[in-house]
Amino acid sequence: MLSRVAENLYWMARYMERAENTARFINSTTQVLLDLHRGASFGWDVLLKVAGLDDLYKEHYATPNEADIMRFLILDERNPSSILASISSARENTRTFREVLPMEIWERINGLYLYIRDNAARATQGRSQRWEVLNGVIERRQSVIGLLMGSMSQDLAYQFLQLGRNIERADMTTRIVDVNSAVRLPDDAASAEVARERLWMTTLNALSAFQMYRQHVGVHVVGPAVVRFLLADPHFPRTVRHCLGEIENCLCDLVDYEVPMHVARHAWKRLEAMRFDNLTPESLHHELDQMQQDLGELHNAISRQYFSQRHMVNLAEQAVVTQ
Amino acid sequence: MSRFINDYPSAEFYDELIGADGQPRDASRALFDHLDALDAAGLDERRQAVDAAIMTMGVTFTVYSDAGNIDRAWPFDIIPRVMSRKEWDRIEAGLKQRLTALNLFINDLYNEQRIVKDGVFPLEVLAGSRNFRAQCMGITPRFGVWAHVCGTDLVRDKDGTVYVLEDNLRVPSGVSYMLENRQLMKRLFPELFQSSDILPVDDYPTRLHDTLAALSPRQGQRPVVVVLTPGIFNSAYFEHSYLAQKMGAFLVEGSDLVVRKDDCVYMKTISGLRRVDVIYRRIDDDFLDPEAFREDSALGVRGLMRAWRAGNVGIANAPGAGVADDKVVYAFVPKVIQYYLDQDPIIPNVPSYLCMYDDERDYVLANLDKLVVKPANESGGYGMIIGPRATPEERAAFADLIRANPRNYMAQPTLSLSTAPTLIGDHLEPRHLDLRPFILQSDKLYCTTGGLTRVAMKAGSLVVNSSQGGGAKDTWIVDMGEE
Repeated sequence: MLSRVAENLYWMARYMERAENTARFINSTTQVLLDLHRGASFGWDVLLKVAGLDDLYKEHYATPNEADIMRFLILDERNPSSILASISSARENTRTFREVLPMEIWERINGLYLYIRDNAARATQGRSQRWEVLNGVIERRQSVIGLLMGSMSQDLAYQFLQLGRNIERADMTTRIVDVNSAVRLPDDAASAEVARERLWMTTLNALSAFQMYRQHVGVHVVGPAVVRFLLADPHFPRTVRHCLGEIENCLCDLVDYEVPMHVARHAWKRLEAMRFDNLTPESLHHELDQMQQDLGELHNAISRQYFSQRHMVNLAEQAVVTQ
Repeated sequence: MSRFINDYPSAEFYDELIGADGQPRDASRALFDHLDALDAAGLDERRQAVDAAIMTMGVTFTVYSDAGNIDRAWPFDIIPRVMSRKEWDRIEAGLKQRLTALNLFINDLYNEQRIVKDGVFPLEVLAGSRNFRAQCMGITPRFGVWAHVCGTDLVRDKDGTVYVLEDNLRVPSGVSYMLENRQLMKRLFPELFQSSDILPVDDYPTRLHDTLAALSPRQGQRPVVVVLTPGIFNSAYFEHSYLAQKMGAFLVEGSDLVVRKDDCVYMKTISGLRRVDVIYRRIDDDFLDPEAFREDSALGVRGLMRAWRAGNVGIANAPGAGVADDKVVYAFVPKVIQYYLDQDPIIPNVPSYLCMYDDERDYVLANLDKLVVKPANESGGYGMIIGPRATPEERAAFADLIRANPRNYMAQPTLSLSTAPTLIGDHLEPRHLDLRPFILQSDKLYCTTGGLTRVAMKAGSLVVNSSQGGGAKDTWIVDMGEE
């Protein structure tokens, strides 16, 4: 597999995952905001904080308000993480390696792009239309995933897609869990309690984890249990632990995986050592920050090992693979 | 009579599907019977289905403009161009004859130059050829073949004669559209493919692969074949990717390849360097190797010529093959066929006037209003003038160009290009078209069944290039059971 192709596959998967996550997060936040207690200041700008896009937003818009934030997150091409920009990048990347994917995948990704291109404007015209259009994005993206699983050999190309998807997914999970540290709760204890529970429900919903949480953890939505579930549960597919496990599996199928594997193990160990019972908002924020850094390190290690052109040129006069 | 051709204009030109009597020709009768069976909305429905399919399949080509690069959907007409197998067989023989002779010619030019010494081909034409590469002198590639993939443009004149308009021996494109057109038509008119004997076209990628694999310097091993593309911004990128996919080859850019001190070519993979055996390059000679050709090329691979010269990698088409893809050299091809094969050309050339010769130039300048004048080395329909369509000012300006650089120009009479019925709105109108078959040669010779039919979508226009508003049709070679 060409290094350039591996890198493009990896990024394509990240962009696609990012687009779907953003769509899910907008939809679930909208649902919760509708019945949040008035005393809690849970603004739409939380969406910007999760994505780490507050600074970029301020460059282009004045005060944060629903309409502008939605425009920025859904279709603003000045925001490379907007749903439209992510899908467009994923499509452009896919163009460069159409030959390694089943033909139908390209058709679906192209179809997803045409869909969001034609409907993005509609998604900014009110909540019900937004819900519908974003759901359309999620469905179409899921059909790409389904097709990948059902029609693609689990070859090297597949591993790089998996790597990209899982790194992006783990990163997004830490960010979504981190939202809660950005929210100011109402002052009186009873309202605060209700608001807190609502917030953790949004968090679970944003990750499509609510139902699984109820089945596997319990009916009550309590902060520490939710955090433990979303970070450390081995079975739910969006937890950091599960993603790290998938990443390790992928690496095992690649060559020369020692360095990235070492970094992945390091992240895993930090997660294992984490204690969930005595978390304060500050200590949770610190832990999540560390995890994001670990994931960043992992990205760098993968990039250096498999994508780096400089690395290759140095190799040019050294060992040669004999097939 | 088919209701679709009730008011079809009577033959001002040769029409591929409709005879002089206003009736469908034998080979296209089944098609019209089928169209007649559709209800009024049926045709439009199918056209919409095709437009939607083109959109999702992402069959596009890129158009360069000041406004940036635009990805345009492939303009496709659902009425196929139909030809009988009997006629096609003769054309195919002619195309194979032509490529065989051209390859003997190129190999001779880079080696003994017998044809020049024997006075058949003038040295001054060779000296003036921009695509002659001195760096290739003394090389004989495997099988003595330089042009492994040739796209030859054929046109038909008013009397029904098929002529070769030009040979594209550098990086001819369009074959992926030929294949996609057929896919579209099979989705659209499955019934027709069951009831008529329309010959398949889809073995091309396999034949191309075999043609390339035969060039591998490491015979006996499964060769590593790559398609070398200038990248995503090239207008034919879709095709590069498509062919790599269909052949199971790697699609690479120049920066993915490196030539080591052992003069072998390697590609950069996630597990280090892997040797490359054959390069199907879709980059012009100029940009292939900054060490041998243009130093400023960022698209190519430094040292590629060294590797090729040492016999460590096969390159198709070979560097320098474009010497025969020159519109002045074209005029000599009938003599070239005679000289090497001792045969008469099966498909004639369009009569041509070379501006390098005083008497022919005088004729061209005196008859600019009747002729098409083309520069020797341009492709894509750029830099030419269609005399009868040009204004007197444009003709005067062009005459100056010719006088300034006569070797660079050749002229041909304006042919009355044939037409075929094309769906315009809800009815059929005649549109001019040509045909580009693709011929392959390495150890074996192969010719596509039919080829890419390009059609000028504007009424009366003769320009079929996709970069200038041309479209395409599927090309059906129909076996009528004749011997």
